[in-house]
Amino acid sequence: MEHTYQYSWIIPFVPLPVPMLIGVGLLLFPTATKNLRRIWAFPSIFLLSLVMIFSVDLSIQQINMSSIYQYIWSWTINNDFSFEFGHFIDPLTSIMSILITTVGILVLFYSDNYMSHDQGYLRFFAYMSFFNTSMLGLVTSSNLIQIYIFWELVGMCSYLLIGFWFTRPSAASACQKAFVTNRVGDFGLLLGILGLYWTTGSFEFRDLFEIFNNLIYNKEVNFLFVTLCAFLLFGGAVAKSAQFPLHVWLPDAMEGPTPISALIHAATMVAAGIFLVARLLPLFIAIPYIMNLISFIGIITVLLGATLALAQKDIKKSLAYSTMSQLGYMMLALGMGSYRAALFHLITHAYSKALLFLGSGSIIHSMEALVGYAPYKSQNMALMGGLRKHVPITKTAFLLGTLSLCGIPPLACFWSKDEILNDSWLYSPIFAIIASFTAGLTAFYMFRIYLLTFEGHLNVRFQNYSGKKGNSFYSISLWGKEEPKSIKKSFPLVALLKRNNNERERTSFFSKKTYRMDTHVTKMPFLTIFPFGPTKTFFYPHESGNTMLFSMLILVLFPLFVGAIGIPFNQEGNNLDILSKLLTPSINLLHQNSNHFFDWYEFLPNATFSVSITFFGIFIAAFLYKPFYSSFQNWNGLNLFTKRVNKSQRVLGDKIINLLYDWSYNRAYIDAFYALSLTQWIRGLAELTHLFDRRVIDGITNGVGITSFFVGEGLKYVGGSRISFYLLVYLFYVLIFFFILNSLFKLFFFSLV
Amino acid sequence: MIVVFPIATGFFIFFLPHRGNKVTRGYTIYICVLELLLTTYAFCYHFELDDPLIQLAEDYKWINFFGFYWRLGIDGLSLGPILLTGFITTLATLAAWPVTRNSRLFYFLMLAMYSGQIGSFASRDLLLFFIMWELELIPVYLLLSAWGGKKRLYSATKFILYTAGGSVFLLIGVLGIGLYGSNEPTLNLEILANRSYPVALEILFYIGFLIAFAVKSPIIPLHTWLPDTHGEAHYSTCMLLAGILLKMGAYGLVRINMELLPHAHSLFSPWLIIVGTMQIIYAALTSPGQRNLKKRIAYSSVSHMGFIIIGIGSITDTGLSGAILQIISHGFISAALFFLAGTSYDRIRHGYLDEMGGLAIPIPKIFTLFSILSMASLALPGMSGFVAELIVFFGIITSQKYFLIAKILITFVMAIGMILTPIYSLSMLRQMFYGYKLFNGVNSYFFDSGPRELFVLISILLPVLGIGIYPDFVLSLSVDKVEAILSNFFIENFHE
Repeated sequence: MEHTYQYSWIIPFVPLPVPMLIGVGLLLFPTATKNLRRIWAFPSIFLLSLVMIFSVDLSIQQINMSSIYQYIWSWTINNDFSFEFGHFIDPLTSIMSILITTVGILVLFYSDNYMSHDQGYLRFFAYMSFFNTSMLGLVTSSNLIQIYIFWELVGMCSYLLIGFWFTRPSAASACQKAFVTNRVGDFGLLLGILGLYWTTGSFEFRDLFEIFNNLIYNKEVNFLFVTLCAFLLFGGAVAKSAQFPLHVWLPDAMEGPTPISALIHAATMVAAGIFLVARLLPLFIAIPYIMNLISFIGIITVLLGATLALAQKDIKKSLAYSTMSQLGYMMLALGMGSYRAALFHLITHAYSKALLFLGSGSIIHSMEALVGYAPYKSQNMALMGGLRKHVPITKTAFLLGTLSLCGIPPLACFWSKDEILNDSWLYSPIFAIIASFTAGLTAFYMFRIYLLTFEGHLNVRFQNYSGKKGNSFYSISLWGKEEPKSIKKSFPLVALLKRNNNERERTSFFSKKTYRMDTHVTKMPFLTIFPFGPTKTFFYPHESGNTMLFSMLILVLFPLFVGAIGIPFNQEGNNLDILSKLLTPSINLLHQNSNHFFDWYEFLPNATFSVSITFFGIFIAAFLYKPFYSSFQNWNGLNLFTKRVNKSQRVLGDKIINLLYDWSYNRAYIDAFYALSLTQWIRGLAELTHLFDRRVIDGITNGVGITSFFVGEGLKYVGGSRISFYLLVYLFYVLIFFFILNSLFKLFFFSLV
Repeated sequence: MIVVFPIATGFFIFFLPHRGNKVTRGYTIYICVLELLLTTYAFCYHFELDDPLIQLAEDYKWINFFGFYWRLGIDGLSLGPILLTGFITTLATLAAWPVTRNSRLFYFLMLAMYSGQIGSFASRDLLLFFIMWELELIPVYLLLSAWGGKKRLYSATKFILYTAGGSVFLLIGVLGIGLYGSNEPTLNLEILANRSYPVALEILFYIGFLIAFAVKSPIIPLHTWLPDTHGEAHYSTCMLLAGILLKMGAYGLVRINMELLPHAHSLFSPWLIIVGTMQIIYAALTSPGQRNLKKRIAYSSVSHMGFIIIGIGSITDTGLSGAILQIISHGFISAALFFLAGTSYDRIRHGYLDEMGGLAIPIPKIFTLFSILSMASLALPGMSGFVAELIVFFGIITSQKYFLIAKILITFVMAIGMILTPIYSLSMLRQMFYGYKLFNGVNSYFFDSGPRELFVLISILLPVLGIGIYPDFVLSLSVDKVEAILSNFFIENFHE
């Protein structure tokens, strides 16, 4: 048993060779490496599966023995300071590493197909493997410096991957925004680490907690300072997990390829903030203010994320806001001290959201061929609709994810969210009310996404058919200026060209028949391992490739069953759920006294309550978004609603709803505020310092130069060539010089004496 | 020994046949590599790391009546910079491949600079230090005024006036220290290190040396020659300037101000730290306002020099080790960044950032390396810059000299610099490479970086990564010397 632990340091380094090899290959032998394309994907998946097996093995051991293992090497040896590297295996680590590896493998598998046409296929795999390395390093690290190192590396991978399609200006600014925002968090994290080091003199988690609690207990430390440190540490987690003031990067991060959004911006990296808070919870618990702050930030984020998700047009951005809201739930749970619930929700949410993102990737992939590759077209929910018939498998997967995230009973997120809601009732009623209300909102926006995407009819067609151009959205000239015309004769030619997809589409719409896309079949490089076969007929918009479907289907299993690890089976009187078994030695604030036992009678009413809220949300969503295909120019249900209300003269309600819509659509004006205040401010300051530098500091130098030049010139003219004048000036200067020297000597002697 | 070799062989360039610049080029590179190998060989076999004293000393009487000795020697402090000099100069010579105009003089000046730099790092005599210090000014001035950009004369004049102005103070300081106290002048650093001065005099000397080194380092507000010089110089000159010349200022601060004048240093160190923090913020804020690519990088190096000053000012083992590590790591990183800026300038012929854009597609390799090195410059973990800055942070934190509130404030402001750094370096990347742009006409044809450029960059990148992953390589060189220097301070505190 012990040797498994001993070799577990290898976990983060197993996926490392792939990015190194690809990087070296791309730099030195670009053509040869690019020819090997596919071959590179296999080792990365293979190595990650090795890690997965290893971490599953570790966590099984953790369940059986629940021991904490730590191993340390020294990194720099010096007399005064020494940094150490090590690995630290405890239940939290093993859970996180399983999560990362499973989602990672599926996403790699998925992206093999998703990215197969992309020029940067290899670059993508290199980044992904490097990300996996650093994320695994983050969860296995044993001290704060190591956490900081991997924290930054993870942020860098995220930067590179958001800016993956670097030709898009939006991606370029999004990745910079993400990095800088994260750097603000890192700033807090680093300062917090330094402050804690100053108070305790250690980086190791266990020593740190021990010394820290002793210090607090004996009141040997400035409480304000410690609170400040803890606050700064928490700042790091806030930025990484996209909590309230620093959440602005997450929606913009959706510029990256969709597999990235699934892996990094839904399942793993954004959970790193939660992981950090969970890891440092023994430290935070000693300071009640910080715990309150954590739960407060959590609840703000929950509400804000949910309201912002209400009116997004972009499918990925609404999912991103939903992620933010769910992360807020976890933060809330951590702030309340219910460690187990937070981690449980972390796991369930990671799988559900990864599934949703993979589903949305599949949708985008199928829409891209239809409407074009710009993200505001292919990810626009206003153009989707009615995809249910065309992409049935994706639809099933997406629906399952949606239901799970909304919290419908047998699925995973129900169990975890219910637990958080329960705990929040114990903590504070106001928070509980907000949290429950947001559960309803979650159901609303998730079903809004689902209904807009899959129900009704394909809006792209209607838009063209109706010829509506005056509407604010349709003014985007998707179709150019051309009028609908008969294209039967030119059909075989234009079908070959991708940019004429719309015409193909039109044809199929007019003739009401589907046709085989032979050209398309040959273009799609298949992995024909699965029984679908290469000669499948594609209806338009077509279902994604088999590899993508396969990984989605595997991922469907997780939301279905992963809830089971947290469900207590109470029949035998003791709770058997795996999660509590893993996490028993850790902290439980709220359940200290009474209900460590699970009570079905208490559970049922709470569950019924939350489920009914959810259904209420779903109902409203169905009411608002179901009928929109009958009057498709009002694609936005809220607009429709306002219109109706207008007729019945309810001006106030109209205003409120408009306000809410504007609030949500404009991202609560926070982005605009930051852009106005911070960015402009920094730019202005930069201009100012630049001006100051050039005019004042450089000006003095140049002024001295110019003055001496003019003085010299002037002297030349004044002196003419009379030797007497030179002598006069010379004598004058000698006198002055002696005078100064004299006074200096006097001063000097006085100072010596 | 090693010092004279490059300049002596440099003279032979003029006797080489007029057979184009190929011969001179090959010859110079051959000399550089030989020199680098010689130094490395000497250090490998004759240098003992545990000994904080001077080793490999050379001692000749040069000018009899003045007691001026040709005194060279190497200890842990100068070992790193000397190796850095050899490395960067070799690569800069390799980088100067495309220079065709009057290449003999160019390469001769490179070699002369090589001598001057190694000489000033290795000299054990104050006057020799000063002479070497001046020796490398002239090549830089000529390199700047002959091979620079449009405004080269302006910036060359500015450079020479600034640095010569600084040198005046250096000379005053050198002579003052040398002539003080005894009838015959002593300029030997080892003897001088054990001498003590009256406070007022020590402060006076300290200010003199500080001004000289502040011009060179540069420390604000004496930095304005740097962006102009960097903006105009050829990029191989920039590599030498940023990689080595700036480090001479910092080295001088450690070598003379800390070692010879410990008392004044402990008085001045709070001011140094304050100036250093201001410099980090100030330069990092000025940098985004620059439109010229090279000037932006130049301001970033001004900002990074702030860390060195803080490390020197912290008077702790940790801080000083961090400063020395930063000297070396910043030498690598800034040299590489200037090289990259120069090579991309060669391709697009635009020096201004807002005229660039969309370069990632035509020159992907330069893009990759530029990203990696900008990451290194903004202190990404795993690269050398991070380790150096982290150690400087620790130096400040563990420093016994300052109060808690002051430490918190200083650290806070330094860390704000950490937020500002990615703003300018990433927006530089974004403006240069991201986005999409159609290149019209003649300029639309690009070569990606060739094997020579790739070789230069990778050979810089490897030590950057190496130090980042295992910093003990460099730290172990200077540990003992650092302790020896700092023990002076503790003895002094003990006496008081």
